Amino acid sequence: MNVRVIRIGLEEWRSLARNRAGLVATLLLVALVLVSALVSFERRAGIEAERAHYQTLVDTDFDNQPARHPHRMVHYGQFVFRPLSPLAFVDFGVDSFTGNTIFLEGHRQNSANFSEARQSSLLLRFGQLTPAFVLQTLAPLLLIFLAFTSVARERERGTLRLLLAQGVSGPQLLIGKLLGHGGIALAIGTPAFLLLGWLAASAAAPARIVVLLVIGYAAWLLLWAALAVLVSALVTRSRDALVALVGIWMVVVVLLPRALPEVAATRTVLPSKIETEITLHRALKQIGDAHNPDDPYFAAFKARALARYGVSRVEDMPVQYAGLVGMEGERLTTGLYAKSARAIEAREGEQNDFVRAFGTISPLIAVRQLSMALTGTGLAAHQDFLNQAEAFRYRFVQALNWMQAEKIPVVNAGEDPRVSADNWKTIPRFQYRPFVPTSAMIWPNLLVLGGWLAGLGLLSVPIARRLGKATR
Amino acid sequence: MMTNDAGTPLPIDVREVRHSYGEREVLCGLDLSVAPGEIYALLGGNGAGKSTTLSALLGFIVPSSGSVRVGGIDPAADPAKARAQLAYVPESVALYDQLSARENLDYFLALARAHRSPDTIIAPALEAVGLPQHAWNQRVGGFSKGMRQKVAIALALARHVPVLLLDEPTSGLDPRATLEFNRLIETARDRQVAILMVTHDLLSAVDVADRIGFLADGRIEEELAAGTGSVRFDLNALHARYTGTRVAA
Repeated sequence: MNVRVIRIGLEEWRSLARNRAGLVATLLLVALVLVSALVSFERRAGIEAERAHYQTLVDTDFDNQPARHPHRMVHYGQFVFRPLSPLAFVDFGVDSFTGNTIFLEGHRQNSANFSEARQSSLLLRFGQLTPAFVLQTLAPLLLIFLAFTSVARERERGTLRLLLAQGVSGPQLLIGKLLGHGGIALAIGTPAFLLLGWLAASAAAPARIVVLLVIGYAAWLLLWAALAVLVSALVTRSRDALVALVGIWMVVVVLLPRALPEVAATRTVLPSKIETEITLHRALKQIGDAHNPDDPYFAAFKARALARYGVSRVEDMPVQYAGLVGMEGERLTTGLYAKSARAIEAREGEQNDFVRAFGTISPLIAVRQLSMALTGTGLAAHQDFLNQAEAFRYRFVQALNWMQAEKIPVVNAGEDPRVSADNWKTIPRFQYRPFVPTSAMIWPNLLVLGGWLAGLGLLSVPIARRLGKATR
Repeated sequence: MMTNDAGTPLPIDVREVRHSYGEREVLCGLDLSVAPGEIYALLGGNGAGKSTTLSALLGFIVPSSGSVRVGGIDPAADPAKARAQLAYVPESVALYDQLSARENLDYFLALARAHRSPDTIIAPALEAVGLPQHAWNQRVGGFSKGMRQKVAIALALARHVPVLLLDEPTSGLDPRATLEFNRLIETARDRQVAILMVTHDLLSAVDVADRIGFLADGRIEEELAAGTGSVRFDLNALHARYTGTRVAA
């Protein structure tokens, strides 16, 4: 690389080192990144240990239940906890708003899927001290404060003419400034990048995901450094650069990420929890009543069951008919819940697509989506957990229903029929498959960030040319 | 292009140059040349075109017509090469306040791709301009204008280039500092540097210049050469001429 460019870049570092306020602010932010990473790392480990502890506890409790009727165990249910991804310390995403504990039982889909939190726009909230919050929100502000004078002050104090008189060209000057501030931007992210690198090296997190996460955040930080330098080169006075850059920060980082989900929620309205429950209740009523001998649906079901076993009375069946009815009822209600969940998911998808489309004008949306996808803390990961939990719930309930059908005597079962406590250990347990982000969750966001960097690169060409001449 | 007797191009050679800012024509057929080892003082009122002349020599503007050459190089066509031939001291000496005198020189010399040995280039240059040694490693943020001027001149001397452009170099300097400054640029003249000094300071021009040109309405209205005797210029006549020029301007 050109010696002049490198020297100009290094001079920005020396300038920062001798600017007490700038240096203190930079060191504070670097420390904040480090502290937030370590604190979040510990917090994630604590949450994870707690979840593992309670998962073991509730599993043991389930196994230790006394001899009971299997249907009572259907309502005794199981608690499942979603393990946090190893990279969740970087970005807790929607985790805090969605919850990771689900009580699974028969006939009902008790999950965060229908929690109040999910009825509102939850994609872009923040509040915890995580590396994601520091890097996404605070770091751009620091980069602005460090770079808004980078070129404008050269012009204001007259050193620009002197620099050019030494034979430095406009492009060399601009590239040197970009190099210097780009280096500062990367230095700010370094503590988090090192921690991620350590996780990848120790195989605690997938190396590919870590690399993509580092690339995404590096692009985000570089983007702000470049933007600040270019605006500084574009305007005549540094204070104008500051006003313009803070304005851009407020729109891109504060306003759009909050306003867009609200607009999305207005455009595509999600049903409230109570609305959803009423709709489901009505739909369940329409299916039929298994206890009503005249109910047409269950009368037909009974006829099919008798035919399947070649008998004319339920008492002659080799399995308990009530168990079969329970299984059929579960199949029907699960179908209804799944249909309702899919409808809500589709509407949420519409909201997210709307917000995502604006990622091109607010790269924060792109970096946030990328960050949550890669750390496994986004809405998609949560949805994946819900789907896994629901699939498990169905298997779990049906296993108990089948146990009832198979093990409870058809006749002379007594007043309080039960099955042995040993049976509970044969019931399946929830095995969470870690969320794997799809390419569609990664590359469009990286493309947006890359596109912004490329756009700023293109913008720098006329600015650099102008810089070499505008020195009356 | 004008050449000297040896056939080499003149360090500063401006011919029939015209330049406008919008509708306003600032340079209207400017002719100006400076030979090696010559100090040329360009005097003129505000808006006469002095700074535009320097900008043309530095390649910051492209004249509408005419020819500008620095050591035979067109600054508009090849600014980097032309700037390698010259050193420039701006009116308000712009230095990096957070750097010491030494560090400023080192930085600018590095950017100029000039030699910048601390012992054989930087220290002798600072010594030559008379900057007290204890100030060499002090940040220039605390320097007086005279001291800053010395650092800028030291930079110009350290570059060892054939052309020196000075923009209002004595503005804001006290008489003693002005005198010191004049002696400094005489040392540069002795090294055969061609010096173009744009100034309002008639006394300084009379003291040090070999030729004085009056710039008015974008061209040299009158040019006077220094006499060979003890009286180099007729100060009273020059003063009357200058103030008249200013009124006319």
